[in-house]
Amino acid sequence: MLAAYLAIPFFLVVAAGIGLFALAAGFVLGPRRPDPRKAAPYECGFEAFEDAHMPFDVRYYLVAILFILFDLEITFLFPWAVSLNHIGTAGLLAMVAFLLVLTIGFIYEWRKGALEWE
Amino acid sequence: MLPALPFYLASAFLIGASLGVVGSRNPVYAALFLVLAFVSAAVLWLLAGAEFLAMALVVVYVGAVMVLFLFVVMMIDVRLAVLHRSFVRYLPLGVLVAVAMMVQIIAALRGLAQGAGHAFPEGGNTEALGTLIYTRFLYPFEIAGLILLLAIVAAIALTLRRREGTRHQDPGRQVLVRKQDRLRLWRLPPHQASGEQLPASAQREDT
Repeated sequence: MLAAYLAIPFFLVVAAGIGLFALAAGFVLGPRRPDPRKAAPYECGFEAFEDAHMPFDVRYYLVAILFILFDLEITFLFPWAVSLNHIGTAGLLAMVAFLLVLTIGFIYEWRKGALEWE
Repeated sequence: MLPALPFYLASAFLIGASLGVVGSRNPVYAALFLVLAFVSAAVLWLLAGAEFLAMALVVVYVGAVMVLFLFVVMMIDVRLAVLHRSFVRYLPLGVLVAVAMMVQIIAALRGLAQGAGHAFPEGGNTEALGTLIYTRFLYPFEIAGLILLLAIVAAIALTLRRREGTRHQDPGRQVLVRKQDRLRLWRLPPHQASGEQLPASAQREDT
């Protein structure tokens, strides 16, 4: 079973290699003339007003939470699709009912305008 | 049973990432270390044969929950010095929780060792799970669907608020607009002097 996942370590090694190569190439080939003025914080001609940790608008959470919920929905679809041969018509109808319930939620959020950004 | 090298590698990454979660001063780094910890745990589960759990961990936790975590980290706007002080304050409680979890894990492992054995199911873990969920545990599965629906409604009720006075385009209405609604044609007789009022003889020409 694990042999099927052998591609993942290779993928990780290649990805890390490309990332390290980009960093190393920049480090080796790039000119470096350090200057305190280059390192100074700079924001459109002014000193930086505040640090980067700004509170987010609450509507980002709404998008994230709704994403998690439908993410969970598709997680249920994987074992269902794999075992479709064993679970018969009852299993098929069960998933239809499950999807219907969540479609109600989807219609609700759509009609409510939760997907609109304004 | 487990291939040794990937197991030790993933375990080492998991422990290191967990230490990073607790130890890093920047909460954003802590959240990113948590992502690494989740991925390492997914590798461990994969090695143990729990393919579906590994997939769910990556898809749900790394893909969705950690996004929310990062937003929360941004939202609460933690001061780093305060965070460092509370680390020492909550240390006894953390040790207590760790010991309790350790005891539970040891108890569970003893139960496993006494013969509640498990074997790799035929056709893989995902298929076995699916066969159980959609036959024997059908009812809890539908309840899970209802809980998700409840969560959708609750999330919208808690966080959705309209902001007054924002201007935005409505492409549907933009497309539906007709020439008669926007455009008026006026027929003007030629005249010489500039700066005059519109002559009375100007007629509106119906479009």
